Amino acid sequence: MHESILAYRKRRYLWIALGVSLLAIVAYLFDDPQEPSNGGTVLGYTLGTTGVLLILWLTWFGVRKRRYSSTRGTVQGWLSAHVYLGVALLVVVVLHAGFQFGMNVHTVAFALMVLVIASGLWGVFIYMRYPERASANRDGSSRPELMDQLEDLDRRAQRVAGELSEEFQELVESGVSRTQLGSTLWTRLRGRDLSQIILRQGGKTTVMANPGQEAALDWLANEQSRAVDADSLAKIGELSALIRNKRQLLRQIAEDLRLQATMEIWLYFHVPLTAAMLMALIAHIVTVFLYW
Amino acid sequence: MKYLIRFISRNPAGGVEYRDKVVDAPTITIGRATDQVLQLRDLRARLQHAVIEQKPDGVHVSSSALTGIIVNGRSQRASKLAVGDIIEVGANVIKVIDAPDGIDFAISFELSDDASTEHFVTRWSEPVSDVGGWSKRRLSWTLVAVVALLGFVLPIYTYDMFLQAGPIHSAHSTTAAECDLCHLNAFERVPDSACEACHTVDRHVVHSTAAVLGEIRCASCHLEHNEPEQLVNQHQGLCGDCHANTPPDAALDSAADFLDDHPEFNAAGQAEDSNLKFDHAAHLAEQGIVTPAGRRVIECNECHIQEPGGAGFETIRMDVHCSDCHTLSFDPDDTTRTVPHGDPETVVQSLIEYYSARLLGEDPDAVEQRVRRPGQRLSRADRDRAAAEARVEALAIAEDLFERRACTNCHTVTRVDGDVPWHVEPVELTTHFFSNAFFTHAAHQTEISACGDCHEARTSASATDVLVPGIENCRDCHGSGFARRNAPGQTPSTCVMCHSFHFESKGPRE
Repeated sequence: MHESILAYRKRRYLWIALGVSLLAIVAYLFDDPQEPSNGGTVLGYTLGTTGVLLILWLTWFGVRKRRYSSTRGTVQGWLSAHVYLGVALLVVVVLHAGFQFGMNVHTVAFALMVLVIASGLWGVFIYMRYPERASANRDGSSRPELMDQLEDLDRRAQRVAGELSEEFQELVESGVSRTQLGSTLWTRLRGRDLSQIILRQGGKTTVMANPGQEAALDWLANEQSRAVDADSLAKIGELSALIRNKRQLLRQIAEDLRLQATMEIWLYFHVPLTAAMLMALIAHIVTVFLYW
Repeated sequence: MKYLIRFISRNPAGGVEYRDKVVDAPTITIGRATDQVLQLRDLRARLQHAVIEQKPDGVHVSSSALTGIIVNGRSQRASKLAVGDIIEVGANVIKVIDAPDGIDFAISFELSDDASTEHFVTRWSEPVSDVGGWSKRRLSWTLVAVVALLGFVLPIYTYDMFLQAGPIHSAHSTTAAECDLCHLNAFERVPDSACEACHTVDRHVVHSTAAVLGEIRCASCHLEHNEPEQLVNQHQGLCGDCHANTPPDAALDSAADFLDDHPEFNAAGQAEDSNLKFDHAAHLAEQGIVTPAGRRVIECNECHIQEPGGAGFETIRMDVHCSDCHTLSFDPDDTTRTVPHGDPETVVQSLIEYYSARLLGEDPDAVEQRVRRPGQRLSRADRDRAAAEARVEALAIAEDLFERRACTNCHTVTRVDGDVPWHVEPVELTTHFFSNAFFTHAAHQTEISACGDCHEARTSASATDVLVPGIENCRDCHGSGFARRNAPGQTPSTCVMCHSFHFESKGPRE
């Protein structure tokens, strides 16, 4: 049975994270330093050290998840803890700062940390919903299987076209070789269909955009209306049906690419922002002691 | 309905092997899923790809999959089947064969070598590992460089205010633009010498307390870069840590918390010994007091006028605040004549001058009636006698003023030997009852406070009463330095709200 990372081991890490947060809040409420609460009091240093250790441990997840041979906990458990303790970090750091924020490098470090946590929560949201949507969209097939089905349709279209004139063969060949969906994250996110096709019209050969196989289907519909014998009429009809099916399959694949890109894009924020936050954290710590 | 499925396999030698399987089911399901009657191992097949079923007019095959099926070389969605028909699903070939006895419908199935095709891979089906040519790693290092440059390196050389942990206190705003005025050495705490560059601290933190407190720096108590800005340690523990639970024989009583552990004020219960006689109760009578202008009610602030700073009050002056009623007249025939408010010699002298003038005839209204011939001047003997009479008269009036009527109303007058036989004790009012504490009236003038709320002047008939209230009066509003110990509405009041830290110049009240 599939278990969500949020529900891992009866939400064990949710309770640990709540415990850490509550401990920090209670300590903050009962702390009565001889100065306004800030990172320089005894509790401030304690919470700051806790925060740094948490950040280092959270960052270590990027290493742990690649250590396939490691037996120190499961990756699922690590991810569950990563999510919950990542949110608890927000509480610890806000109390470390004693709610003091300003236009300075220290608040920059804090803001970057908030962005990292926010992008992480975005990732959690994506991973709670998108894998399900992706499998619903693929309807039981994997991506390579969808590609195989596409190839199957292409082969059959080529077989039918082989029994028709050269123009049909050119149409199908160029349609097959120039089928293209998004190849970058952005085009995939937008579900773009970049397919093209070579059409021969009135003795002129033109390369045309063929999103959703529309250009091919239009051309075939035109040819169908001009066909005279029943045999070619039936074959053109079969070819149209195959290409309509291909259109639908391409939409399915484009949606699959879009969903997968959505599942990937948040990491392009989460990881680089983490690196930036680590640099700002170093600047924060060095600055504090440089100007002790 | 009984179906026969004949599985055909070819051995390496080229021989053909058959394996028959009879299925008693309403339909033959064909697909990749494990629950299918005929399971295909071809990735191009859907989990449920096609169905063979009996219909009224015969056996049909149908498919809802996008790639559909090929029946006898034609792509189709559905088709009626007859013996000899060939169904293709991907690379799988299913043939309809003659049904043996007892079987309703039969097919043969041969797993094609072509079934496990290589996935044909196009560039657009591969995973993407960058955004616009930027990998996560490259993005990360770029952001690290940007943060390091803009957040740290650049501020150090240009705008180092960007590195401060909180705003500088407004009192230090003139030095705010230069961090190194206080932060003399990198990675070292701010030394006292940085403070002493501007501040004289020799009266602050006397050596005896320094010995108790140990190694402390100015910045141990005076912390910068905080919000709310606060340069003076306001904490209860600043004083309370040492001044709590002092031994019974200690010079100072225990004072750990204003709410319930603070001695009564020294002034309370004492007597004021100012040599002045004054009856607040009589002056503040509710029905008013008789004045030359008639009966009227006097308000506190007619005499007690606040200093511009708001801390205390201006000195009360006889000529400004008292003389409207308390005239120093002495001559019943001329009530506008008054003696000056000053020392006894001046008073007596002015009286002698007044009566001399009258007796010697220089005052036309007060000439002594004496028979003289025209042109005759007073003889020397007459003048001496007149002067002596004036002196006697003046002293008689003065005695009346000093001992019975005017001066003694307010002052303590004693008889002494000498030409002017009176001495007025100088007025010595206590100006500050709290010598070791601050108090400002201005901060206590609120909409809900009146003089009488703290000072019981309306019932005080004697100037020896100390009208400074006791500590309980303060506790009506001021509570503990620990906010959580206070009732709602009580002002948290730590020691430094009234006291300052160990100033050498401030000893105990003498």
